[in-house]
Amino acid sequence: MPARHLIVGAGTAGLNCIRTIREEEGGGAASEITLVAAERPYSRMVLPYYLGQTIAESHVYTATPASLAAWNVKPMLGRRAERLDVASRTLTLDDGATVEFDDCLIATGSRAAKPPIPGADGPGVHCFWTLAEARAVIAGVTPGSRVVMVGAGFIAFTILNAILSRGASLTIVEVAPRILPRMVDAACAEIVAGWLTKNGVTLRTGATLTGIEESRGKRKLSFAQGAPITADVVIMATGIRANLEWLDGSDVARSPEPGGGIVVDDHLRSSARTVYAGGDVARGANLLTGMPEVHAIEPTAQEHGRVVGANMTGRDVAYRGSLVMNIVEVCHLDVASFGQWEDPSAEVYTAVRPERSLYRKLLFHGGRLAGAVICGPASDIWTTNDVGMLKGLVSTQVDLSAWKAHLERNPFDVKPAFLASHTTARLLPQTILGRPSRSPELPQWVIR
Amino acid sequence: MKILALHPEKCTGCLRCELACSYMQTGTFQPSKSVIRVSPLEGYTSYAPYTCTQCAEGWCMTACPVGAIQINAVGAKDVIDDKCVGCKLCTIACPYGTMFYDPDSAKAYKCNLCGGAPACAEMCPTQAITYEEAETADWIGDFAAERTAYVLKMEAPDVFAATRAGAA
Repeated sequence: MPARHLIVGAGTAGLNCIRTIREEEGGGAASEITLVAAERPYSRMVLPYYLGQTIAESHVYTATPASLAAWNVKPMLGRRAERLDVASRTLTLDDGATVEFDDCLIATGSRAAKPPIPGADGPGVHCFWTLAEARAVIAGVTPGSRVVMVGAGFIAFTILNAILSRGASLTIVEVAPRILPRMVDAACAEIVAGWLTKNGVTLRTGATLTGIEESRGKRKLSFAQGAPITADVVIMATGIRANLEWLDGSDVARSPEPGGGIVVDDHLRSSARTVYAGGDVARGANLLTGMPEVHAIEPTAQEHGRVVGANMTGRDVAYRGSLVMNIVEVCHLDVASFGQWEDPSAEVYTAVRPERSLYRKLLFHGGRLAGAVICGPASDIWTTNDVGMLKGLVSTQVDLSAWKAHLERNPFDVKPAFLASHTTARLLPQTILGRPSRSPELPQWVIR
Repeated sequence: MKILALHPEKCTGCLRCELACSYMQTGTFQPSKSVIRVSPLEGYTSYAPYTCTQCAEGWCMTACPVGAIQINAVGAKDVIDDKCVGCKLCTIACPYGTMFYDPDSAKAYKCNLCGGAPACAEMCPTQAITYEEAETADWIGDFAAERTAYVLKMEAPDVFAATRAGAA
């Protein structure tokens, strides 16, 4: 009997797992793959571009009924996983159906989390996480709309351009004393704040939202300090929470540490040998420290999914760990950070060119680059190239001892250090799966 | 497969490759739009061209959330314009710093080996860039290490001596 793989969740981890299983099988003996997901497969990463009207809704789908059929996947979509019985290897769905499996990937991702504020569930108050939520925001934000975004983190910043491009005015309120508190340091945040203000975005930091009241189609937001704000549309970008509650009572161990997540080994297996976890629900290794952490970012979900897919086909692929990294462009300003960018024990070199809104922060442990923060205009090719090279320097942990003094003097001059420290030689043999990656389009043997 | 082999010791810094590349990639003669970039070293007395290695992992390709980076007929990782949404995930995923973003089109772009006839290699007057059947490699590392050593020594003699002693 062919192996029965069950994939729970059709996000980045789930679909990468499916693709990798079929790649590894190479058109030979095909296993059974069942995909259980609450939603049709689409990419949350590209929803901001749908909101910004630069792509059509059809562009967000990462698999169609036809492509799932081509991959020989049995889809069970629109249904939620409700109970996992590890001993009998059975998943029960919310409609009572059951699926038996030989091995299973839990990749149920996250959902938007709203703070318990009066009025947060009222009309005209949206999250922006799912496709359904995106559609609601698209319907609500029209030219001239006054939009208030609650939260000035990464998620909020990914949809900032799109809201402005719809002709709306935008106010961002943030409870922390500055914007992007979990993505960049205070100095970088100040540069970004200045840039946004110049571009017509109103920022209000240190503002604790106490309630949202609806009256005559408008929303009034009240704060612990300062004047209330009136809005047509409110977008709550106040964080995400992993979808793990459905595993309560199962034998899949979760971490009691802050951040939680399913405990996984270096093959991304949970405490149950037949159950893997990937993406936002998995507490995998940090590439730099080896410590288990939840990295709820796209690249981690992608790498987790592929490693699980390979291991499900019998390969023995150990995962080295994931690197925290984020990039967002707001009003043509690129902002990115890598690795241990806020490590208080690191040796820190910074440089600012305020007239060009350029910022670099390099964090060293000895001769190794532990993290970086970078900011600069999107039209500046050096910013784009440096983003990549800094990732290379952080991910390889190449020895930069000879370059530290130079980089302290000029944190912008990353390229010669990258080239001369043979970072390329370190990178070339690296692959996630121990083989060259395949092109993502459907290979001929699948299309048939 | 055929790849771009880079021979920095032959590079004169004339930037013809950047002009040719920008024209092939974006239709304009603008070095700032080239995806092969010549770095000056040793106080503008040495130069090294640098571009995508078409690495085995294809970090840009695996990172793309919409499958917009694919392997083309000559084996190069290539951005499919109609699919790219401009999210920049590839620019942060590529650890070589060889992904590019065109603010005019709001799309990523990169070396695609010009579909099998790389303009940079064709235009290079000194064969510092050749398109040949070979394993890709760290073409620049040794050259850059050697040609930056003098500058590093001038900047910080103590550090230079210490790290050299450590390496020996």
